[in-house]
Amino acid sequence: MRPRLPSAVTVGFLVACSSLVSTASGSDLDRIIFQANESLSVGRRIEPTPVVDDSVFLRRVYVDLIGRIPTEAEVTDFATWPAEGRRQKLIDHLLKDDRFSDRWTIFFADMLRLRSGATGGAALIAYVHNAVKTGMPYDELSRRLISSNGKAGRVPEVGFVLGDDADPLAMASVTSQVFLGVHIGCAQCHDHPFDVWKRRDFYDMAAFYGKTRRYESQLTKIVYATEMDQTTILWPPEGVGPAADRKPIPAKFPFPIDESNETPGYIKRLSATRAAKIAAIPVVDKRPSVDDLLDSVSDKVAKATTGKLAEELALADSKRDIRKIDVQKGLYKPSELREQLAANVTDPRNKYFSRVLVNRVWKTLIGRGFVEPVDDFRADNKPVMPAALDYLAEEFVASDYDLRTLVRLIASSDAYQRGHAPANSDESTRVQLETQLLATPVRRMIAESLYDSVVTAGHLFEPKHSPGKNERTIRDIVRVPKGSKPGDVSKPINLAPQKGGAMTAMSRGDATAGESASGYGLEAAIELDFTSLLKEQGDEEEVALDEMKAVSKEELEAQRMMQQRMMRNSTEYEEKVVTRVVDDNPVFNSSLRMQSPAPEGHFLRVFGQPNRSDLGDLRDDSASMRQALMMLNGRLSHEAARVGDLEPIYPLMQGKSANLDEAVRLAYREILTRNPTAEELTDAKTIIAEGASALDGMADLRWILMNCNEFRFLP
Amino acid sequence: MLTGCRDYQLSRRAFMGASSATLLGMSVKGLLAASGKDHEAQAEHVILFWNGGGMSHIDTWDPKPGRPTGGDLSSIKTSAPGVEISEIFPGLADQMHHCALIRSIAGTQGDHGRATHHVQTSYLPFPNLVYPGMGSVVTHELPNLGELPAYISISGQAPRAGYLGQKCEAYYVSNPGDKDPYLAFPEGIAEVRGNKRLETLAKYNQRFTGNSTDSRLRATETSIEEAVTLMRSPALEAFEFSKVSPKTLDRYGKTPFGRGALLAKRLVEKGVRFVQVNRGGFDTHTANFPAMRDHGEIMDPALASLISDLAETGMLKKTLVIMLSEFGRTPRINKDAGRDHWASVFSCFLAGGGIKGGTVYGSSDEDGAEAKDQPVKVQDIHATICHALGINPNKDVMTPLARPMKLVDQGTPITGLFG
Repeated sequence: MRPRLPSAVTVGFLVACSSLVSTASGSDLDRIIFQANESLSVGRRIEPTPVVDDSVFLRRVYVDLIGRIPTEAEVTDFATWPAEGRRQKLIDHLLKDDRFSDRWTIFFADMLRLRSGATGGAALIAYVHNAVKTGMPYDELSRRLISSNGKAGRVPEVGFVLGDDADPLAMASVTSQVFLGVHIGCAQCHDHPFDVWKRRDFYDMAAFYGKTRRYESQLTKIVYATEMDQTTILWPPEGVGPAADRKPIPAKFPFPIDESNETPGYIKRLSATRAAKIAAIPVVDKRPSVDDLLDSVSDKVAKATTGKLAEELALADSKRDIRKIDVQKGLYKPSELREQLAANVTDPRNKYFSRVLVNRVWKTLIGRGFVEPVDDFRADNKPVMPAALDYLAEEFVASDYDLRTLVRLIASSDAYQRGHAPANSDESTRVQLETQLLATPVRRMIAESLYDSVVTAGHLFEPKHSPGKNERTIRDIVRVPKGSKPGDVSKPINLAPQKGGAMTAMSRGDATAGESASGYGLEAAIELDFTSLLKEQGDEEEVALDEMKAVSKEELEAQRMMQQRMMRNSTEYEEKVVTRVVDDNPVFNSSLRMQSPAPEGHFLRVFGQPNRSDLGDLRDDSASMRQALMMLNGRLSHEAARVGDLEPIYPLMQGKSANLDEAVRLAYREILTRNPTAEELTDAKTIIAEGASALDGMADLRWILMNCNEFRFLP
Repeated sequence: MLTGCRDYQLSRRAFMGASSATLLGMSVKGLLAASGKDHEAQAEHVILFWNGGGMSHIDTWDPKPGRPTGGDLSSIKTSAPGVEISEIFPGLADQMHHCALIRSIAGTQGDHGRATHHVQTSYLPFPNLVYPGMGSVVTHELPNLGELPAYISISGQAPRAGYLGQKCEAYYVSNPGDKDPYLAFPEGIAEVRGNKRLETLAKYNQRFTGNSTDSRLRATETSIEEAVTLMRSPALEAFEFSKVSPKTLDRYGKTPFGRGALLAKRLVEKGVRFVQVNRGGFDTHTANFPAMRDHGEIMDPALASLISDLAETGMLKKTLVIMLSEFGRTPRINKDAGRDHWASVFSCFLAGGGIKGGTVYGSSDEDGAEAKDQPVKVQDIHATICHALGINPNKDVMTPLARPMKLVDQGTPITGLFG
């Protein structure tokens, strides 16, 4: 299927590839898979698909671990490494890459339904990104998300609970399905039809969130999650029996936990890993607690005894501090119930917790989960290879819930590195190979990886045209609000996507006048600044809370008039024709750090980014006409295909060192991470020759390669 | 007024559901689509105007002149004998002999998110299931006509297709009347060159896919073929207004809503099954009356032109036009001269698709506070849309987790609307 031909540049690299084809990793995971196949009756046993060669592995592991295809420089670099052990070396290298954190933040953002537009959502994404970057154990991350209270944004973790308005019933469903892979939400209205969960189990679970409230200040619009004294969860549920009979119920964790007296080996290893970690860190980072604040207050009071003036000043200070503490203590009151829930959920003996995460990671890297859908664990939906799932889950726990260890374990295995089922195999053989983990399913890159891979292949992260080399005259019909001056006209037009200005073109409701100039907003990317989102914010707003005045009636009226005017103006427009010259040097940001989820209709959404609102709305990788239009006619693929004079391929296209064969080979390596076959080389040269110019022809070739299935489907 | 409420901004957030990763709708092929034996279905298309925020029923379709709840706006006579509507619709008043009103919808949801879900899908939101909107239901049940996408949403978000599958998702148009850049080759790529690229691409993809049995590779090729068919379709001209006379554009109003209505008309003429035109700004908690006047200025010319144009060409017989909002607004006028959320009774506007012109179905009490005669459930509206199109609203479809769901959640068609 996959043609290969050694070229002058990468002869050594490709020769090394063939010698590795039959290399087995010898890992425990692969032993389990091997034994499972051996245990089948002779007739049903099947021959595994061989492990892929280095160039295929290279592309696959780059896309999976850091969300883009490798560059020419990275391919060449890899080729210089000693063949022995270089796959492992590459995996370890990529695990340290900044983009690994970016890519796997997407993984968690999907799973946890993180939305940068939700209350505290952007800070939460930044927080999760930081957790991935610093290797925060997954159980710790989960505990913080489940149990934190406080102000949205200020306590980033609280965005998780606020994402569902801290609604106890919703949070019962979310916690069960996201962390434990159980659709207990079905039991909200009736006993689960296909599973053991009873309606009471659902309410027992919801009771952990029963005292949690979303609180919004009417004045400042600041939102908190906080803890009340009364629970809202009553049994029996609404509508069942007389209302007077409904009583608060205590929280109870409905999921079974391994009760064996013996401490399982993997938990012993977990303890050892944790002990080693603690030993390695000399100072434990600690945030100032309420106690610390109180200490500092008494400090100040103590100091105040030394002088009268100083005393007054200190007292004023202390009063303010104490008030701050009062406000904070009320609002930041921790939730004992949810701390207890978090402890239950993340208990190492709770097998759901580790298995579900492993299943999700496996799905991401292999293309098919042990259990499908990945968050639907139940008695009559058994995993395809339970021993492999359990093995990985125990290793994950033993590593102190370390994502990188898990990804490394999987990426290093033969199971991950195997080729797809042979193209000519029939459907049932293919399915058998894939479920026995003896071949990898064909899978398309996720939306973000596809986007970033096009940007990488097309050299669009940096300007690729010299200043002035890419001037274009553009004639637009624009609609402007009636009565605006001629000078205003060009302002709203933003062709260059780097600032992502056109993104708002997808906003809901009436389109705003002026946005229509460039309809290419569906590929823009607005970057989130993770660092600034995590910066400590002052507490002054809480203290200043009661000093703020309510908005007066007159002000309200003025606001209304203003809105009225804006509405009239923005809906009345006239059309103007504008001609302008732009020095078009498009640069695209990584989609991994953009506001997410992208608006409906955006490149990322079209290619399956979930809306992260609906629970269990997993990534959709099916093909659609919208996707085709996006890649065939979109600005991203168009600009990526065009040849810029600052690109390495440019000198190979013209001038003294022109070498068309080499240019084609480079194009193939940059786009498909491989060299062309002899036939492909000839075809490519024909395409280039038929272009209006060689550069146009090369653009055609690159456009075709970026649009073809080989590009978007992982080898 | 445009400040809206918190829960409205969160709208879609308020409910959660689940669906499988594949979103493959599984229709039960064996089930017979009942063809509405009691009536000959006339409608083939639907134009749904979605007025987000909760449009005041008293200040539009159900005026209460002389009552303390009636407010600042008076009512006017229409071309339908005995039918009066708000003064904000002077143009539409002349078309009312083509139109019908339901004045007795008894809603149950007062929260934007939940009510929007209810009115758009007929189901109450529930975790673990993404319910499809009416556009998806219609697209799922009726074959495509023509080459354009069967379900198009203009200027905003339509409900998702849920368990009916990706094929039933809406195609989005954000700026009605403007050329969609994604439907033509990029600027600077001439027709000949673009076609040559497509031709070569098809060859390369065929070579790559070879004789593979993997349906995923084929599906991508099919999607490209569909895209190219659409790009080359003469019907695409419907999207673009460059050849539309300035007079027509003026008649509909030079507003996104006017352009949306005009586009909707042009799309159904090309065979599109379901067009949803979205508009917001109806959450009039403060200063309701000037806001409603403004809304009238925008909606009236568009609706009046649409109805009269469709009637003139005969398309109105085949096209059900319906205007919906998630709920009505309080009869009581609050201290900020606004009206708040009110679901107990509200109205909707309909025309065409076999609906008897000049009909008023049901009524609210004298203050517009409760449904009085012939109360209608929200789901009955969906059943009525199905009825007009000859779709059996009680047909079961299977969700990916093999749970049978009715197309409409226990609605009864309002047959009294049909002639």
